Amino acid sequence: MEKLGEELIATLQVGPWRISFDLPAVAVGVGVTLVLTALALWLRRGLPRDPEGPLSKRASFVAAVHETAETQLVAGFEQPLRQRLLPLIAVLFFYTLFCNWVGILPVPYIVSPTQNLNIPMSLAIMVYVLAHYYGLRTRGVRLHLRSYLQPHPALLPMNVVGDMGRTLSHGFRLFGNILGGAILTTLVPTLLARVVYFIPAALFFGVLLDGFFGIFVGTIQALVFALLASAYINLAVSS
Amino acid sequence: MDISGADLITVARYLAAGLCMGIGAVGPAIGQGLAAAHALDGMARQPEMENSLLRTMIVGQAIAESTGIYSLVVAIILIFVAG
Repeated sequence: MEKLGEELIATLQVGPWRISFDLPAVAVGVGVTLVLTALALWLRRGLPRDPEGPLSKRASFVAAVHETAETQLVAGFEQPLRQRLLPLIAVLFFYTLFCNWVGILPVPYIVSPTQNLNIPMSLAIMVYVLAHYYGLRTRGVRLHLRSYLQPHPALLPMNVVGDMGRTLSHGFRLFGNILGGAILTTLVPTLLARVVYFIPAALFFGVLLDGFFGIFVGTIQALVFALLASAYINLAVSS
Repeated sequence: MDISGADLITVARYLAAGLCMGIGAVGPAIGQGLAAAHALDGMARQPEMENSLLRTMIVGQAIAESTGIYSLVVAIILIFVAG
């Protein structure tokens, strides 16, 4: 319990601004990126040289993942954009998935980077900027700006505020779910150990909650994050 | 035992966080249950639509969850940040 408030924070003074880094979150975030990159390189080495040859195990795994990602994550897009956005949405999914999963390791200072608000929120803001970029590109400036006047020009402030609130809740959703899970997995075993004085029961509940919040909720929330990113970009490019 | 103003503020913070989380969890729970019930209804009627129904249900439940997440954030701020 005492570990919850304790954080390793490095600060950097740049002129009048003070920039703070949450060191464990940054380190684990970078570590997840490195692990994903190594995994991708390892999988690519398994691809056969000639496309007509028999599929290796790794190649069929990659094909299955690609097929599932294309039919589940970016199903709403028209064809040229679907190919373009598949890597982005798939990376968002796998990055948040591994970030959520890494939190179940019972190692001090290895926490889910997604339980620091800055990381989900920067991903959400990236999706917001990309949605506008693709909206401007596919519909043109006039049509894109006019979509804010739908269904009536008087609703312009509502549309703008709703757009930003959507992004805010997009980031808060991932952050809240993962942080809530992390707090519960710390809180419930601690309270149990103090109330029933029976350490195995507390440990059992700790492992159970860790698995539930880490694996189950982590997977669902990564899927939701990627699906919502896909839906928000789709909303900006359609009609 | 002396009870000062700071103690009362601490009591109020914890009480408010508990109430915030407890009441704030009711709405999303009802909404997610309704979404799951109707998705199951649709799946029973059209089993071939199961994939798309499941995906839409999860996204809808995630949106319905927003208000619960807001109350969680407020409760966390009350406990760890405020005061």
